[in-house]
Amino acid sequence: MRQRQIFIFPSRTGFFFALCLLVMLIAAINYQNNMSYALTFLLANLFVVAVLHTYANLSGLTVTALNADDAFAGQRSGFHFRFSSGGKQGHHALLVGWPQPKKSGRGRRLLAGLFSSPTMLAEEEIELEPDTSRDLVLHLPVGSRGWYEPGRLRIESTYPLGLLRCWTAVALDQRALVYPAPLVSPEPTSGAGDAQDGRWLAGAGDDEFSGIRDYRAGDNPRRVYWKGLARGQTLQTKDYATAVADARWLDWEQFSGLEQERRLAALCYWVIDYHRRELEFGLRIPGTELAPATGDRHRDRALRALALFGIPQEEDGQ
Amino acid sequence: MKQAQQLPRPALLWIIVAQALLLLPHLPRLPLWVAGVYLLAFAWRVQAFRGRMELPGRWLKVVLALAAIAGIVLSFGSLFGVEPMVAFLLTAFALKLTEMRSRKDAYVVIFLGYFVCLTEFLFSQDLLIVVYSLLLVWVLTTALVAVHRPAGRLRDLRPLRKAGVMLLQAVPLMLVLFFLFPRIGPLWSVPIKSHTAQTGMSDRLRPGDVSRLSQSTEVAFRAQFDGEIPAVSQLYWRGMVLSSLEDSTWRSLRYFEIPAQERRAPRLDTEGDPLRYSIIMAPTQQNWLFALRYAQTARPGVMELNDYRLYSPAIIENEYRYEVQSWPDTPIEKELSPWRRGVETSLPAVDNPRTRALAGRLYETTDTPREFVAAVLDYFSNESFFYTLQPPLLGDTDMMDQFVFDSRRGFCEHYAYAFAVMMRSAGIPARIVGGYLGGEINPVNRTVIVHQFDAHAWNEVWLEGEGWVRVDPTAAVSPDRILYGLERAVAAEGSFLSDSPLSPLRYRGIGWINSMRLRYDALTYRWQSWVTGFDGQAQFDLLRGVLGEISVSRSLGLLLGAGVLTMGIVSLFLFRGARARRRPVFEEELLRFQRALWRRGLAPIAGETPGQLTERAVLRWPQQAETLRALYRALERSVYAPLPTSQDGNRLRRELRKRIRGIQFSL
Repeated sequence: MRQRQIFIFPSRTGFFFALCLLVMLIAAINYQNNMSYALTFLLANLFVVAVLHTYANLSGLTVTALNADDAFAGQRSGFHFRFSSGGKQGHHALLVGWPQPKKSGRGRRLLAGLFSSPTMLAEEEIELEPDTSRDLVLHLPVGSRGWYEPGRLRIESTYPLGLLRCWTAVALDQRALVYPAPLVSPEPTSGAGDAQDGRWLAGAGDDEFSGIRDYRAGDNPRRVYWKGLARGQTLQTKDYATAVADARWLDWEQFSGLEQERRLAALCYWVIDYHRRELEFGLRIPGTELAPATGDRHRDRALRALALFGIPQEEDGQ
Repeated sequence: MKQAQQLPRPALLWIIVAQALLLLPHLPRLPLWVAGVYLLAFAWRVQAFRGRMELPGRWLKVVLALAAIAGIVLSFGSLFGVEPMVAFLLTAFALKLTEMRSRKDAYVVIFLGYFVCLTEFLFSQDLLIVVYSLLLVWVLTTALVAVHRPAGRLRDLRPLRKAGVMLLQAVPLMLVLFFLFPRIGPLWSVPIKSHTAQTGMSDRLRPGDVSRLSQSTEVAFRAQFDGEIPAVSQLYWRGMVLSSLEDSTWRSLRYFEIPAQERRAPRLDTEGDPLRYSIIMAPTQQNWLFALRYAQTARPGVMELNDYRLYSPAIIENEYRYEVQSWPDTPIEKELSPWRRGVETSLPAVDNPRTRALAGRLYETTDTPREFVAAVLDYFSNESFFYTLQPPLLGDTDMMDQFVFDSRRGFCEHYAYAFAVMMRSAGIPARIVGGYLGGEINPVNRTVIVHQFDAHAWNEVWLEGEGWVRVDPTAAVSPDRILYGLERAVAAEGSFLSDSPLSPLRYRGIGWINSMRLRYDALTYRWQSWVTGFDGQAQFDLLRGVLGEISVSRSLGLLLGAGVLTMGIVSLFLFRGARARRRPVFEEELLRFQRALWRRGLAPIAGETPGQLTERAVLRWPQQAETLRALYRALERSVYAPLPTSQDGNRLRRELRKRIRGIQFSL
């Protein structure tokens, strides 16, 4: 996206410089010294020209929001951006970050914003040559479980002379998924009898023949039921099943003693734990049930379900 | 400290370079220890840079600062005045080097540097100094840019370029401001350059003073005549009139010694055509102005004193320009007041008895004062008197007796002194006039350059019916001095400019050196009259010429116009790349494609993909199927081809546009 509004205002250094210029002008007047006049005016106009140069340093910059890393509550999430420059101007000494939220009133905040830059969270300085682009990751502490939207990204620069501060705030459509912070808790016992040993999980394994089904693209040719084909039947595949002796269920009810958030946190802990131990598990929470499985994607699905529990989904996040 | 606030190394390097350059022109005016402080601070910084030493702590810094102040007070006697101030600034500047860590410190040092640069102008606005200072401002600005550059590359020359470009862009508006800014008087009185030696003639004259001055090659002033330049032997530039003799020293009358009714000179009835000329004087730290007799000036504030010389109540601290009209033939003060006669004939009670006796003997042989004057001049030319730049030292008592009867070797002030004593002892009003004689005519711009070595002293004698008449006893001894100048007059002695072996004036014989010197001098004159000498009057004339009439609205209009014009040009320069940025190629050209088809009667349908649109067009114009499909493929390529640079993007855009235009025609 491209910035629409660029603000520019003298920095503190700029005001100090103006003061110096005033002193120089007074010296020139009092000593009736023409070269001092000339020097003072030269520097004053340097200030004026710097307005354009400072502005040009920010204008023409394009910022694209890339993905944001998922994170656990209370940790930092990496937000990815691509900065690209167009035209013949590079962009130098750009300070990128999010301003720390302030409690003061809006009017005062505006005024304070003119005279000093806000304290920045996750600040980075970057350089951008003309006609190039650069990726940047900013790590920001995220809040509680759910979607985290970092607010408007602030880009600020005082290049080239430091006399003027030029900034812009870009609203980017970017949010990070925040999982509950894992809470160490006793391992849940398999509950309520529906997670008995010896459940068969069709399709996943290759231990025991369980039936014949229609061929689907991508099936292993060795499993194709060639005999059937030879008899003039359609192409079929032999299906096998694995006995999942240790399939576990993580169930909302298993942590009934805890209040909602702690319950989610405890579930989160065990999702991670099972994943690390490469155990197969299923997840059942009100509104969502994930069949037992293993792997990174399964873990992510489980964590996502925990993160978004009870949060109305207006649209899909990614 | 945040990494972003730290001072990058290249910036530190630029600052150190700037500091060294800043110090250089100030060196001759500073006590030597200030340079020592610089070296120390520099060495310290380098050691800290290499990690071998710690930068000084807070207490050490306080001690160093106090020591610097004490040193300045010891060297200069006070903290007030321009030189101690500059010394103080430069010392602070050096010490700041040892505590520079963050960007903030760098700002302070660089802005201070700009100010030090300005102080140099208080001492000299010479063209070379100005060019040098411009270079300095460039380096300082480069340092300022480098503060905002990444720390990496030490040999990064881009800040230099950036600073140069920005300074160049600042110049046009600077010129407008320079000529428009009202030249008002000082807001309050400022410390004067009390420690700068007064240069040129002083209002006290002892034998030996002028000959000492004659070793200096500095320019005293330059004069430019409106018409013909008079003969060099007639250019007696009067500066001060010395009427009072005390303790073997001649001096001019103090203001309070003059009776109130005689303090201002009455305007005289002029005779003959005036000489019109303008003079640009080098700063002397004194009050008198130089002019040919009888001079009047229109410059406001300049007084005409009762001994008919020009006087500026303000000390001449900068180059000073004034226009003069002189009527050389006008008799001065035909009627002598009794008070004036008394002053101009008084001699200390008992000194130089032999000289007085000689004067008495000569006076008796003559009938009129005029004849007596001639007799004294004859005496100088007939007896074996010598004109020399190296007169022997004379004892304090009866100086003229020693000179006239023993040494007989003297410079102009000796002869003027002896002549005045002899006149006064005979009761004829006489006095010494100090100033310059002659000058060098610069053929490049027809100015008369008067150097310090043209300093001269001569006499004025009051004669009944004629007023004050100029008499130059030196002419009786050494006619060459009057006709050809000092160099020729002392040629046999080889003493001319013997103290300045490197002065280009010594090499006047070598053609190209001399021509370069004269050219540079002409440039300096132009510089002084247009730039450094630009004052309220010149501003008034210039603005009336440019604007027609001088009004606030016209001046502001000019300023605004110039400002907008400059900013516009700078913006064009800065945003020429960014201006070309548009919507992505695909989006823009697809719209163009749709419009082209619509114009040929194929209306777009909502929700249609570009591919479907193309196929509909193919159905409608089957003979164009290939062209249409090729265009569609090109459009697709513009989306899926690797990220193009802006040049590639523009080429692609041009190609697509050509295709679309082609289709529009062929359908």
